[in-house]
Amino acid sequence: MSRWKTGEKTEMKDIREKSDKVKIRLTLEELAFNSGALVFGVADALKFKAAPDGYRPSDLLPGAKSVIVLGGAKPKSGDWAATDFRHMELSSTNDRITGLCMRLSNLIERKFGYYAVTVPPGVDEGQKPFLNISLAAELAGCGTSSLAGPILSPKHGFVYLGALITTLELPFDQPLNEPSCPAPECIDMYNSNKVTPCTKVCNIEDGGCLGGKIKNGQWEDRVYDVAKCTSRVYNHWIPTFQKVLEDTLEEDDLELRRMKINSSLFTRTLWSMTYSNISQGQCFECIRVCPVDERTRKLR
Amino acid sequence: MREPESCDEANMNYYIDPEVYKKYKEQILEMSQSVQINYAENIPPEKRKPGFSDQQIGEKLGLDPSVVREIRCVAERDYYTLDEWQKAIEFKDQACREYAVKGVSSVTKKYLLKRKAKD
Repeated sequence: MSRWKTGEKTEMKDIREKSDKVKIRLTLEELAFNSGALVFGVADALKFKAAPDGYRPSDLLPGAKSVIVLGGAKPKSGDWAATDFRHMELSSTNDRITGLCMRLSNLIERKFGYYAVTVPPGVDEGQKPFLNISLAAELAGCGTSSLAGPILSPKHGFVYLGALITTLELPFDQPLNEPSCPAPECIDMYNSNKVTPCTKVCNIEDGGCLGGKIKNGQWEDRVYDVAKCTSRVYNHWIPTFQKVLEDTLEEDDLELRRMKINSSLFTRTLWSMTYSNISQGQCFECIRVCPVDERTRKLR
Repeated sequence: MREPESCDEANMNYYIDPEVYKKYKEQILEMSQSVQINYAENIPPEKRKPGFSDQQIGEKLGLDPSVVREIRCVAERDYYTLDEWQKAIEFKDQACREYAVKGVSSVTKKYLLKRKAKD
């Protein structure tokens, strides 16, 4: 006869399952951190209520329970200090973190027997991300969103993010209580000048992308010009190719057409597109001056 | 509300009929919040203005969501001329070089001087 009463048996089973999930999580964390991740968090797949229909974890993977978020591959301090902005275009991409997500997905499927899908880093035909990885990162406690857009980890500042969705239920993290942005320095600066470092460098009223007001230590009325940001972030990339192509096809003057095709803007765009098959961020100026990130990159 | 304009009615193969595009472009850009104001998903629901989805815009304008999506994608690309792409190079070059020399004070200098004077 069993020494355990039915209720106790269920309780023991629950404890064992919980302990198994903690062990699995630790295994995944260990692989992630040993492979270069700086940030690891798990979001509850059912908490993506702010995401639009069709862009929630279970829309990508039916039965999704957890969204694992990894962050890392941040530009090195030297990358930020370099005098040529083009340097960052070639050294900073999210492919290393996406590759790591693929490794974790494989491990979850092969070792633990649950479905796992790495969120593709690109966009769908409507130019929307398949899953908002920034939202996932916030729900997983990996950082908080900045006025400029990127998630800022309190410890590591700006990091590239990747995410994977799985039917494996893991112990979840919670969103952070304290927002990283605006930083105390930014609140000080705003109170004095009505701008912060990021809204000073890329101010929407001065031909940039960003605007907002700080009230009670928090951002309000955030304004972000997506199309303007696209012209900077994808400066030499697919949008430029499309625009120059259109302009060139409309050009009747053969000499002018030749100038346009061989222009530095179009040539560099073609080079950028052939460097790699991954999306390259090509503007970092709002984050370059961000005090939250800046304090993570001070060296001699 | 009239019946949604389908892809065929809008003469859409892989592209949209230019007349349909011109007719709805501005409305769709505005409704989808091309310039985002309080758009982000972390903003409390009562303050958040996420813009309408292609589906919602389609329902309001009587268009098929795929037609809305196509108009929105082309309009977002059309929004700025090529000059803006050329200007972006100058903007980044200047911002990066100033940072390399002065660090964050490239944007905070006046503020710091003001604060120093105050202290």
